[in-house]
Amino acid sequence: MRAPVAHQTRLSADVGGTFTDVAVFDEATGFLRLGKTLTTTRRLVNGIATGVGKAGSSFAEAQLFLHGTTVAINTILERSGARAILLTTQGFRDIYEIGRVNRPESYNLFFQKHVPLIERSRRYEIRERMDAEGRVLIPVDEDQVRAIVAEAVKDGIEAVAILFLHSYRNPAHERRVKQIIEAEHPGLFVTASHELSQEYREFERTSTVAANAYIGPRVRRYLGEMRGHLREAGFTGDFFIVQSSGGLFDTADAQRACIRMLESGPAAGVIGTKVLCDATGIRSVIAFDMGGTTAKAGVIHDGQVLMTGNSMIGGYVSGLPVQMPMVDIQEVGTGGGSIARVETGGALRVGPQSAGAEPGPVCYGLGGQEPTITDANLVLGRLSADRFLGGEMPLDLAAAVAALRERIADPLDLDPIAAAEGILRIATTKMSHVVRWVTTERGLDAADFTLVAYGGAGPLHAAMIARELRIGRVVIPIAPGHFSAFGMLVTDLRRDFVSTWFTPLAAASFGRMEEIYRAMEDEGRGAVRRSGIATANVTVSRAADMRYVGQEHAVTVELPMELFRNEDRAGIKRRFDATHDVRYGHAAEREPAEIVSLRSTVTGLLNKPRFDHITAGSDAPPGEAARGSRPVSFDGRGFVATPIFDRARLLAGNRLAGPALVEEHASTTVVFPGDAVTVDEYGNLVIAIARS
Amino acid sequence: MNNAAPLRSATKADPVITEIVRNCLIAATEEMKTNLMRTAYNMIIYEALDFTVGLFDAEGNILSIGLGLPMFIRGIADTIRAKLKHFGPDGIEPGDILLTNDAYITGSHLNHMTFSVPIFHDGRLVAFSGCMAHWPDIGGTLDGITTDIFSEGLQMPIVKAYRRGVPNEEILSIIQMNVRLPERAMGDLRAQIASVKTGEKRFLEMLRKYGCDEVLAAIDDIMAQSEARARERVRAFPDGVFEAESFMDDDGVAAGQRVPIRVKIIVAGDQMTIDLTDVSQQVSGFYNSGETAGKSCCGVAFKCLTSPLDLPINEGQFRALDIILPPGRVVSAVKPAAMRMWMTYPMTIVDTVFKALSPALPERVMAGHHADLLVGRVNGRRPKDNSFYIYLGGLIGGGWGAKHDSDGRNATIAMNDGDTHNGPSEQVEAKYPLLVERYALRPDSGGAGVFRGGLGTEQVVQARADIRFNAQIDRVKCRPWGLFGGLPAAGNGVAIHRFGEDEHNFPSGKAFNLVLHSGDAYILRSGGGGGFGSPLERDLAALENDVHQGYVTREAAERHYGAVFVGDDFVLDRSATERRRAEMRAQGLPVPEPDAPPSEDEHRGHNHPHPRAAAHEHLTEEERLVMALSHRCCS
Repeated sequence: MRAPVAHQTRLSADVGGTFTDVAVFDEATGFLRLGKTLTTTRRLVNGIATGVGKAGSSFAEAQLFLHGTTVAINTILERSGARAILLTTQGFRDIYEIGRVNRPESYNLFFQKHVPLIERSRRYEIRERMDAEGRVLIPVDEDQVRAIVAEAVKDGIEAVAILFLHSYRNPAHERRVKQIIEAEHPGLFVTASHELSQEYREFERTSTVAANAYIGPRVRRYLGEMRGHLREAGFTGDFFIVQSSGGLFDTADAQRACIRMLESGPAAGVIGTKVLCDATGIRSVIAFDMGGTTAKAGVIHDGQVLMTGNSMIGGYVSGLPVQMPMVDIQEVGTGGGSIARVETGGALRVGPQSAGAEPGPVCYGLGGQEPTITDANLVLGRLSADRFLGGEMPLDLAAAVAALRERIADPLDLDPIAAAEGILRIATTKMSHVVRWVTTERGLDAADFTLVAYGGAGPLHAAMIARELRIGRVVIPIAPGHFSAFGMLVTDLRRDFVSTWFTPLAAASFGRMEEIYRAMEDEGRGAVRRSGIATANVTVSRAADMRYVGQEHAVTVELPMELFRNEDRAGIKRRFDATHDVRYGHAAEREPAEIVSLRSTVTGLLNKPRFDHITAGSDAPPGEAARGSRPVSFDGRGFVATPIFDRARLLAGNRLAGPALVEEHASTTVVFPGDAVTVDEYGNLVIAIARS
Repeated sequence: MNNAAPLRSATKADPVITEIVRNCLIAATEEMKTNLMRTAYNMIIYEALDFTVGLFDAEGNILSIGLGLPMFIRGIADTIRAKLKHFGPDGIEPGDILLTNDAYITGSHLNHMTFSVPIFHDGRLVAFSGCMAHWPDIGGTLDGITTDIFSEGLQMPIVKAYRRGVPNEEILSIIQMNVRLPERAMGDLRAQIASVKTGEKRFLEMLRKYGCDEVLAAIDDIMAQSEARARERVRAFPDGVFEAESFMDDDGVAAGQRVPIRVKIIVAGDQMTIDLTDVSQQVSGFYNSGETAGKSCCGVAFKCLTSPLDLPINEGQFRALDIILPPGRVVSAVKPAAMRMWMTYPMTIVDTVFKALSPALPERVMAGHHADLLVGRVNGRRPKDNSFYIYLGGLIGGGWGAKHDSDGRNATIAMNDGDTHNGPSEQVEAKYPLLVERYALRPDSGGAGVFRGGLGTEQVVQARADIRFNAQIDRVKCRPWGLFGGLPAAGNGVAIHRFGEDEHNFPSGKAFNLVLHSGDAYILRSGGGGGFGSPLERDLAALENDVHQGYVTREAAERHYGAVFVGDDFVLDRSATERRRAEMRAQGLPVPEPDAPPSEDEHRGHNHPHPRAAAHEHLTEEERLVMALSHRCCS
């Protein structure tokens, strides 16, 4: 193992389907630079290198490369993964296909159930059985395992997933079978469910391990190629991947637990928000990310990023569950490209159909016929026809007006401006419901939060959403269009563990609890140590999923270390009661509680880029920041002349009174009449929303 | 002012506000649902989603229903109407929480405790927020069949659980005195109240934000839009009178005596009428449901055909539907009919409506589905601490019918339920002295067709200590039918397998008052879905895949689909298959096997003194368990 080294320049790249965002941070100078470029699908490193060049750096200079990628999720969505087999407990071959038998579209006779990634003929039952206490009822039939795998290898399979019942309680059988296969077939990708999830629920664990096997070989190849290409480009440093938890892991771990990198980009955006808030002293924030097709929201409450233990890849209705800790991000199909339509009976609908990038909104002039949210913004003067994407793409205002008139305004007996206003109001309420969802789901009130808005379309709509939710403060970070790449730069090494342990709290042995936590934490510390990079500190946090005896659903309760040091059973109960009360509005102090699972997070803190202070100015923005004005419509009160500012030229301490527009390369911030903007020391736009 | 008078606003609705209100109503009922699910104490609410929440206007008309249970689509609305009638227009005050579980009002069983709060704005009653949830126990007999409502548990008439914000402790103590799990019951009660309060809060916020008149006008418009869409679809249906019939196996009392289901549908212009006059009279056993359920199943069928994905579910969607349902039918039963298994028959009525309309709407209907929840009722005491438990087992999902363009779904919960989840076996084994030996698809259970019906499932559950077991399954003999030459599917089934003996099947699905001992198992089998179109037309690649994956056995492929295989594999000899198919067509094959004749069933019984062979007696529990598991696994 190499000695840990300090890094001076770090690069991050968020590779999406269309764009590659690059961020470069120089520790010595504190400089942060950004580059956006088209994704080069054939050889992603080329696009990344272009982006790095645009950001004024090179691979050779960098010691640390942090990478977010959609390769894992796309492999599942495109169904382009490996030929894999599943080995499972006898009697449970079909659990992956049976699933939870639910019908989310309850009246749709044509509803589609999830489709497994490993078809039935590749799912094998192994003679073995544990009971719920983790006792072996039937020892594992090793010869059967050998015979099945040998046969499957002849058929050309590349990966094996292993799921045995109750492996969360006793993983011995899964371990043994993995060992046997790896010994006999060293080239295979072999993955066992307990390595990814030690929580009960056999379908969800099956789906998780099967997905890992399915994407494993491709992700492994991808990471190997990336490493090779990086080397060719002159990079000699360390290479880390962003997980859906928002933390980093090294490529060795990433090649085994590939499924942990599913949602790296969105998670990084939330982490970037958290770091920004830590720097500026804001404790509770909703991170709002709006792009062309969707809007996403995550929550930071009292300095903690809120996580979830389960997510459905491909949506709730027909998706595949993945059971592991990840940043809780809710999504709605509302983005700049969402289409507005008048339906039977005169109903005005916005989304979820999207014009996407092609044909795109009517104003792109690429053949789009149906008006979208972007068209509405243009018609209202909020977007500039000649400065979109820095003027690279002129927009057709007349076509947008005509489409709005013909398809929306005339059928509803409105004028096109009212139609455009209406479209944005509807979109705003839809997005607000998602933002509110992430808070009320936990008994929190969105109005107590600050809204941090990013993504190309976030700054256009943030003020409207804030008003809808009675949020008083909005922050538009620097470079909102590159924010996920920035978020990657500021993440830490992280490992999350969950271990199901059904135990009444009153009977829970602190000794045993300590053993379970220690085992998770030792593994986490080991992983951080093995990554071989200098970390400022390693921290451990503990939590438990708990419920009242008899209740089905458990809540995650954060448990400070001193509760364990003092063996404070009553203290744990009080924390649980309090969490339950916040989340559900009631607690039952006298009813006994039970533990469902223990959770542990090990974080290896990396040195953070310091936020770059921008040049300070006075209250009044400098003259060169002014870009003239144009008429903009707000809230149906007619067009008002609205001053326009060039964000790049604003100085710290500048104040702008709404109405105003602040333009930058990939985004426009809309400031409503009555609202007030302050440019903070780092260049963030902090908007005080007027109370109505 | 009379506070329950219609509040139709003279304000003209703004199309933008209308769409915002529509989204708000959907979001509000979603939030009510989430709050209920997350705070409920029992698995039937949390996992099975056996509940319904909704917002209603001041007269009880549905504004938005959050699922829940599709077959309860009208339950809360009818309950609110009954409550309005009971208390009179001036008898309901702010802060009241109204409660009933009257089976003849909800149309269902006594477990469905139904709460509602009146929503007042400026002293005027403007809406209701309501919540029904299934309590795992409401008293009454635990095992066996019931033949009147009095043996089914506590009947709570229309009462105020809270009066002007103050809990009515007498009512709450009556409930606690009458149920077996009072702490759970109070936990669920709290969750339901939190849910209806959420609906009230969000509705009032909306009124404050957009104005009361504006919101009420928007609601009128939303209803009108929903109605217009439904009418547009009905207008596209061919006019005519369409009839079909099916049957239920028996009512659990008169063994083997079929219960006829006959439906008539009249389509005229943009109006559809469903006439259930010729459905069977109410029956002796607990399969009755009330008029609300009879109307709900018509509503469910109508929505599936006209507006499956339209939200919110509201009264407007159903204005193009008339229902004829005289009292005293098995889905409009009157007191004291037994109602505990209220949900079984309406599902078959829905399927029978699709069957009747299949000639007119071949591209909108599906073939028959397994149409039963496959509930296994288990209770007993845990050996480790002697604590009593009730486990609502089963809910294993079954096959759904094939459609004009696609195969039926495998292993999906029956029509009565919506987003209902089965229980993870790992959880079942951790909570109860049970071992799930097997939970698998049933090959060949889907009806053969151009498009194949979905597969049913089989669940084998071993007792690790004495348990009491009851199953009351139907559609064992009346198998899910095919359409347009598609074959019927396998029916549902229940069996027990006593340690060291042969499997015992219950021919019409009724297995009451059984005691299973350690090492014994119960077996639930759900039927498949019917096929669509002649199996002789099924695409050969699809057929090969069916056999390769094991959805269809080689034997069934040969018998029903005319398959001729090359060697032992799943690969078809294509030209030989085409020749074989031509022969079969000429012979009028394949023909569905006839339904099994009615049989004198033994519903009870099969409890005998445990005749374990002496050799088994000295086995430890552990050894017995493993031996049983090993024997059954490989059959």
